[in-house]
Amino acid sequence: MAATFFGEVVKAPCRAGTEDEEEEEDRRETPEDREVRRQLMRKSREVRLLRRQTKTSLEVSLLEKYSCSKFIIAIGNNAVAFLSSFVMNSGIWEEVGCAKLWNEWCRTTDAVSLSPTEAFCVFYHLKSNPSVFLCQCSCYVAEDQQYQWLEKVFGSCPKKNMQVTILTSRHITDYKTSESTCSLPSPFLRALKTQNFKDPVCCSLLEQPNIVHDLPAAVLSYCQVWRIPAILYLCYTDIMKLDPITVEAFKPVLSSRSLKGLVKNIPQSTEMLKKLMVTNEIQSNIYT
Amino acid sequence: MASRYDRAITVFSPDGHLFQVEYAQEAVKKGSTAVGIRGTNIVVLGVEKKSVAKLQDERTVRKICALDDHVCMAFAVLNTFIGLTADARVVINRARVECQSHKLTVEDPVTVEYITRFIATLKQKYTQSNGRRPFGISALIVGFDDDGIPRLYQTDPSGTYHAWKANAIGRSAKTVREFLEKNYTEDAMANDNEAIKLAIRALLEVVQSGGKNIELAIIRRNQPLKMFSAKEIELQVTEIEKEKEEAEKKKSKKTV
Repeated sequence: MAATFFGEVVKAPCRAGTEDEEEEEDRRETPEDREVRRQLMRKSREVRLLRRQTKTSLEVSLLEKYSCSKFIIAIGNNAVAFLSSFVMNSGIWEEVGCAKLWNEWCRTTDAVSLSPTEAFCVFYHLKSNPSVFLCQCSCYVAEDQQYQWLEKVFGSCPKKNMQVTILTSRHITDYKTSESTCSLPSPFLRALKTQNFKDPVCCSLLEQPNIVHDLPAAVLSYCQVWRIPAILYLCYTDIMKLDPITVEAFKPVLSSRSLKGLVKNIPQSTEMLKKLMVTNEIQSNIYT
Repeated sequence: MASRYDRAITVFSPDGHLFQVEYAQEAVKKGSTAVGIRGTNIVVLGVEKKSVAKLQDERTVRKICALDDHVCMAFAVLNTFIGLTADARVVINRARVECQSHKLTVEDPVTVEYITRFIATLKQKYTQSNGRRPFGISALIVGFDDDGIPRLYQTDPSGTYHAWKANAIGRSAKTVREFLEKNYTEDAMANDNEAIKLAIRALLEVVQSGGKNIELAIIRRNQPLKMFSAKEIELQVTEIEKEKEEAEKKKSKKTV
């Protein structure tokens, strides 16, 4: 233990191991952990995959029910806006189902009656080529729910003849570099792929220490374990809310093999993107 | 491990970072974008306006403010702060008091550099005192000095200040700065109108809904400061769009 100048006590890490193991365990469980345990008992942290029309749960996992050759997943608002404007405007996409979940990050306290705008992952497939799947995930999937999500979407024995592309964005402070964040050319794209992914990559690979987090990391790990070719395109940006410059930073991905056939009308896409920017969003008064 | 060295402002990390100051710089990026341009005979300040709530009085959400103007309105010092609104208000008040105090003491109005240095010193003090946090604001300060030379200065939360020919702060500042680097030429800036257009074009790169979300102010040598009305900004924006269209037509003619 060390006391700082202000009198706060900072626990110094010790490699010799802790003296009292039991006390350590108790102290490590925060009120948040206890709440999560309570919710697990109440089963309110379940991830449910629902069919589109009937809104009944799917009995098997999504990719066991439908055959898939290409799976494109957008996680986070900027990636979702990119797919909506650049990929989903050309070709007809049909909704096949959605994943409904609730966790402490959701804005409502009610786990049962969620409105469609919150905590939803929507799955689509291309009408002209039903083996091409797309997932728009704009909700946060908590750590304990990621495994459930993977099970419900990929299943326990996924077919290896599909290719997975994941798009997401992170704050630039997550990018490990010795340079100051002010000198980085944000937003910029980096990629991380599984061993079986052999196609050319549209941007440079994420440099060491190449650490990614949350659902994209879970999907990539799953694909690596099951030897599915998968690639994650990660956009580092200094603006976390929906921002056209960040969305446009994903453009190099349009030349990748997985997205090439799906993109047609680029000028129309820019128009769609402008519409998506909610200009009547009232911004907080804290920042001028 | 940043987490062990970022709680106290007065603690350096082993690799020489002052994390609280760096985090304050992140706070600036949460604000809107501001652009400052120094022409030969004019200084221009443009800011992105945020949409206000329906019941909020728009007049109380001004971003560009005067720090001082001389009795005969011969020149003024204008500035805009980007970052935490409350911090900006506090610093502006201190700066205004300092401007008057300087005038009363030495009977001369402040130079732009003097007041910038005052603001920067104030900010630096807050990075070195215990119990306080740095100001989460960057500022663009423009004006003309007694010698008639236009000035543009920029300060940041660490308390550094520099003179610039053109600069941008706030959200997407890097994109705007690159645009300015490509399009700023000394010759063009000899024309006042070109300087105004450059500021608006730079803001339009990042402002989503065009002219109605831009606030613009200029000072011309030996003239009082002028805040542009929404109509005047719209006029400039239409002119810029016309020029863009004509440039694109020329381009397509060349390729055909």
